[in-house]
Formats: sequence, C-alpha cells, structure tokens
Amino acid sequence: MATQVATVPTLAQQILQQQTQAQRTFTIRVIISWVAFLVFLLFIFSGVTIQIGPITIRTIQLDGDFIREWAPFISEGTIRTLEICFLSIFFASILALLAALGRLSRIAPIYALSTFYVSLIRGTPLLLQIFFFFLALPQMGIVLPGFVAGVAALSLNYGAYMSEIFRAGIQSVGKGQREAALALGLTQSQTMRRIVLPQALRVVIPPIGNEFIAMLKDSSLVSATGFVQEIMWRAQKVGRANFRGLEALLVAALWYWVMTLIFSAIQSRTENRLARGDR
Amino acid sequence: MPIIQVTDLHKYFGPLHVLRGISLSVERGEVVCVIGRSGSGKSTLLRCINFLEQPTHGRIEVDELVVNVERHRLTPEQKLVIRHIRMRTGMVFQEFNLFPHLSVIDNLIEAPVTVKGMKKADANPLAEKYLAKVGLMHKRDEYPARLSGGQKQRVAIARALTMQPEVMMFDEPTSALDPELIGEVLDVMKELAREGTTMLVVTHEMGFASEVCDRVIYMDEGQIVEEAPPEQIFTSPADPRTRQFLDRLLRTQTSEK
Repeated sequence: MATQVATVPTLAQQILQQQTQAQRTFTIRVIISWVAFLVFLLFIFSGVTIQIGPITIRTIQLDGDFIREWAPFISEGTIRTLEICFLSIFFASILALLAALGRLSRIAPIYALSTFYVSLIRGTPLLLQIFFFFLALPQMGIVLPGFVAGVAALSLNYGAYMSEIFRAGIQSVGKGQREAALALGLTQSQTMRRIVLPQALRVVIPPIGNEFIAMLKDSSLVSATGFVQEIMWRAQKVGRANFRGLEALLVAALWYWVMTLIFSAIQSRTENRLARGDR
Repeated sequence: MPIIQVTDLHKYFGPLHVLRGISLSVERGEVVCVIGRSGSGKSTLLRCINFLEQPTHGRIEVDELVVNVERHRLTPEQKLVIRHIRMRTGMVFQEFNLFPHLSVIDNLIEAPVTVKGMKKADANPLAEKYLAKVGLMHKRDEYPARLSGGQKQRVAIARALTMQPEVMMFDEPTSALDPELIGEVLDVMKELAREGTTMLVVTHEMGFASEVCDRVIYMDEGQIVEEAPPEQIFTSPADPRTRQFLDRLLRTQTSEK
C-alpha cells in the first residue's frame, strides 16, 4: 500500500521529466538547425568549387577586396539609420498619442481630424510620402533637407499606424480606474494624465519596440531622396559605382539583420520585465 | 439640514427607466443602508449622487451644493459644482479600483495633492493616519497587486477618507470578496459608523445593515418601496415586496450554510 502511494508521484515526476527533456531537445535541435542554415548561407557565398562525380557545384564568388575596402563606409551608415529611427519613433509616438486621444474625443472636429489623418496616411504608400516631403514641398517653396524630409515622413506615417496601439493601450485601462479618479474629484484631464496614461504607457511600450524594429528597415526608403547617407544609400552608391551590387547589398543586409536581432533581444527583455511588474 | 438630499431623481439607460423618481435624504451622522434585488437601481442611485452616472432628470444636493439636472448638457458651472460634490463624497467601489501603478501611500495622497493642492509633506501624515485606522500601516509602500482583496478594499476606504469627505458612499463593498475576507472590511465600516461618519451603503450584508444602520431603504424597480429603522424592516416589513425579498434572502442564506 505504502509503495503504491509512493509510485504515483514518481510516475508523474517521470512524465514531467520527459516533458522537460523533450522541450530541451527541441530547443537544441532548433539551435543546431539555425547554425546549419547559417553555414549553408555562408557556403553559398564561399566561392568554392566542388566536384561530385559528373556534377560541378560552383558557389558564388564574392569580391573580397571590394568588401574590405567599402564595408566600413557602408557600416558607418548605421549611425545615420539609427538617428533617423530614434528621432522618428519619438515624434511618431507623440503624434500617435495625440491621434489616439483625438480618436477617443467626443468633440467632433477633433475626432474628425484624428480619423482623417490616420485614413490619409494609411491610404498612401510610405515611399510616396517620403517623396512628397522631399520633392513635392519644394514646389510650394518649402525645401527640406533629405534627412528632415525622411524623418518627417516616417514620423507621420508611423504615427498614424501607432495611434491604434495607443488607443488600445488607453482603452486597456479599466473604466473603474477612471471612475475612481473622478469620484475623488480629479478633473477629466488630471484623470487622463495621472491615472490612465501612466498605465497605458506600460501596455504600449512593447508594441512600440516592434514598430521601432520595423522602422529600422523602412528607414532604408529614405535613401531614395538621394541625400541621406544611411546604410542603404551608401550600399547603393558604392555598389553601383563599382558594379558590386551583390557585395554592397549583402553588407547592408547583414547590418539590418544584426540591428534587428539586437533590438529584438532588448525588446523581449523589456517586455518580460514589464510583464513581471507590479500590476 | 440633510447632508444628502435627492429629489425626484430619474435615470434612463436608453429606453430603460432605471430610477423612477427617487427622493431621499441623509442626515449628518446617519448611517443609511440601501438594499434590494440586483437590477433594482440601488447602485445607479449611488452613482447618480456623485454623477458617475448623469441623472436624466432630478435634483441632487450634497452639503448645500445643488445640481438641478434639467437638460442633457450640463453647464460649466454645474460641472464645477459636481467636482466639489465629488470632493465631499467618498466613494468605495465593489471592485476596489485602486491605482495599480501607485503604491498604497501614493494611492492615498493622489487626490489630496492633485485636487486640493496639498503639499506631500502635509498629505503623507494625513494618509498615514487613515491607513493606521484601517490597520494597514505596514502595507504603506506596497503595490496594490500584492494585497489581498480585503486589504485592497480597506486601502480603498482609507483613500476615500484621506479626502476628508462629509459623507462616505459604499457601493456593495464586500460583493467582490471571498467570504473569509468580508469580515475585516465590515469591521472597518462598523468602526467608521461608531465614530459618527455619515454613510450611505448599498449592501447585501443584512447582518451589517441590521447591526449598524440607523435606517434601511428597500428599493425595487427603481423606486423606494420602504424606508424604516432596521429592527422594523427586518422583523415586520410593511410592504409585501420587502417581505418577499427578505424571505427569499433568508432562505438562500440559510441553505448556503
């Protein structure tokens, strides 16, 4: 009888152990496969020739001299890219917050302005918006440097998309919070500022991180103005000049990928920390 | 001079006539309990007094501040009066509604600092006094998420008290609590009643109502059916609807045990 009682938890423990083991095995296999894909990718560009019987496999030969000479120049563009993105996400967040508040307003013209802005921006391509600021505004006598035009377009564009994030964040704060604040005598705007927004911001920080990561790549469109020396512009310039588009773009791609990996890691860490917080 | 005077209050939710001409007054120092089935409008009545719900029609007077709702849109002057009514009425909700991003002490001083413009140095000792009163001084710097339901509600009571209101309103303060946590909240409320706090309490706790209240109001279908001292309403209710309600309540409460 006593042994029977003792075996029951043991079996459960065994199953639990198996589950843990299976999970670990899966993770290890994923890592191994990742490495394998990476090696395969490197192999494709390794420039070696392999003879297997009658079949000859010739992989792509990259111009090492070109890369050595120009990779630093392209890499320097990461600074400009990050400048664009940090500035743009900052202004986009402000616009998004305003648009979200407008969307929740009961004052008709303000509500209308907010929905009008979001509709207009979402209804047109980002590239067009960048060109609009850079190429169309000069016709009206407003000449913006490429960098300013790019940041303005990205801010406006992302602000419109992110307004939904802010709106969801604000609405995620329960009605009871607002009522408790009002019942204590806070005004509507004090309630929004001191009670609702601080709670909403916690909710919106992880999705803003996602938007930032998307923006890292979308910022490459700013290169189309031809005057902003971010990664993509530099890669295109030296690639074209030397007929080494492949090498130049690979260097650029690597930088975008690495930056995305870094910021994704930061983002998921922030997300975990916020989730753990004292809510 | 009553502290709360409600006259011919009507509230519609869309086509639904939830309050049908409520008139009610609460004297200073009085403890009044409102009982009735769910959906009888008792919570709505409370929420109309501090305008968390805007009455469709009627007159609300709190501490000589009068709002006469005669049209849909309130005037700026009325909105100001409403804010002062809210400052003089403490509200305790069923769901506590503590601010999760603020520590317990910051929950308490938020309104005195933001609304009354008190200095933190003055608000802190005041808040601590009420925190001690509800027996939670040791939770001063905790965040609400780390409190039990009963503790949350006691903090919510202390938060309302820190505004030093003229009257405390409780909207089913124990309905969201596990049974074993109800007692500690009721004890705090009994203590307040003993000290002479004016209270208007919507509750299902008949024990509390009979023990503490000076007057019990029975509501049904948006109207006040009966209004009497507890010993009278609980032993010999005048209206058959009150009797039926109490009978059924007694049956379910005994069968639960």
